[in-house]
Amino acid sequence: MQFKLIQLVGLGFTIAYAAFIVWLYATEPRTFKEVTTGAEVAAGTYEINQENFNFALSLFRREQFRAARDEWQRADPAQRDARTQFYIAYSFYRQGWGRVYFDQELFKQGVEAVNRAIALSSTSPLTIDDPDLQIHSAAELKVELEQGLEHSWSDVNPLKVLRTRK
Amino acid sequence: MTETNRSRNRALVDSVVLPFLFLTVALLGGLRISAESGTFIFVAPPLVTLLLAVLSMLLFVRGGLLRFHEWVRSDFPPLTNVAHIWMFVTIFFASAQAFNSVLPERGLFHWLFSFFFLWTLWNNQFSSFDARRLLRSLTVLFGTAFVLKYLLLASLYSSEAGWLKRLAGALLQGVTLGTLDAPTFAMATGYIAFFTLALYVAGLILLAFAVNSEPPAVTKTLVGEYRQLSAAERLAVREAILDDAGDED
Repeated sequence: MQFKLIQLVGLGFTIAYAAFIVWLYATEPRTFKEVTTGAEVAAGTYEINQENFNFALSLFRREQFRAARDEWQRADPAQRDARTQFYIAYSFYRQGWGRVYFDQELFKQGVEAVNRAIALSSTSPLTIDDPDLQIHSAAELKVELEQGLEHSWSDVNPLKVLRTRK
Repeated sequence: MTETNRSRNRALVDSVVLPFLFLTVALLGGLRISAESGTFIFVAPPLVTLLLAVLSMLLFVRGGLLRFHEWVRSDFPPLTNVAHIWMFVTIFFASAQAFNSVLPERGLFHWLFSFFFLWTLWNNQFSSFDARRLLRSLTVLFGTAFVLKYLLLASLYSSEAGWLKRLAGALLQGVTLGTLDAPTFAMATGYIAFFTLALYVAGLILLAFAVNSEPPAVTKTLVGEYRQLSAAERLAVREAILDDAGDED
């Protein structure tokens, strides 16, 4: 009986260890911190750092977009929170928006972030109730960013300098 | 009581210790530490290492280190068979990752080392081996590759190396039109690789002890059948064996 028990426990333990190794190679964490964050995500206990999030929001409202993104990335290192990713995308939009032209690189990164936000909230459409924002849904923000990346004859319309940032 | 302890210890080694050792090798074999940022880099085993692992497994079977036919049998309980098959799987991946740890990551050296391993393992398929000789041969093989990669090549490409070494490295790069390009890793990578290979060889030695501690199944069957013979028949068998031994002398 004990012989069987040793075999069962050994098999269970080593299969779990093998699964952990496969997970490590699949996710490729770069630090021990990323290993623990990844484990929290896998276990479903992952939460963003609310303090960092609020600080980033205050920076965002003061138009310190790059600093805000840094703080949001610290708040959500695993990029698993749809709301944080939405705000990151919004910061790319606001920073990249220009009266004459849009910064293509920032808009591209914005599309990536908003896609992440949409993917993370696949169960229901993502909307953010923030009175400081003019775009409240991830789908609208995505369209706005994608339109900024498209080139058309309307780009040479001189009246476009009158448009406003959302 | 001694027999019970022996079977318990054997189960512990087969089901826990050996798979754990080999899985640790599989984990550490692809781990590198970045020289710039000190972060982890996980290098999945290249396809060629899987081929090398297959050749190693064939060598282990030929050398008597792995006895498939004795460890996976229809008269064993299913759990024992599963535990043994699982151990073989862990040995396979540990072998692949042990090769991964001593193979340069890219460039001409990657292919040179791969060729060197393939050639050696292929030649060994046609040599007569026992477990001890096989272990000695593998230790030398991995030791040589380790010295070449982590002592010789690493010092040529290291940013902390002296100007003469760096000049030799740059010349080598220039002469070979950049095909000898190799990534540089932190010193810790060498220590991890050393530990990985030591663990791998230790696992194989433990496996060899586990194999040698029990007589082969053929011997068990032979002894069992011998015990069923009559006294006269036993005498005849003993005489035949002694005659056979005399012929060999």
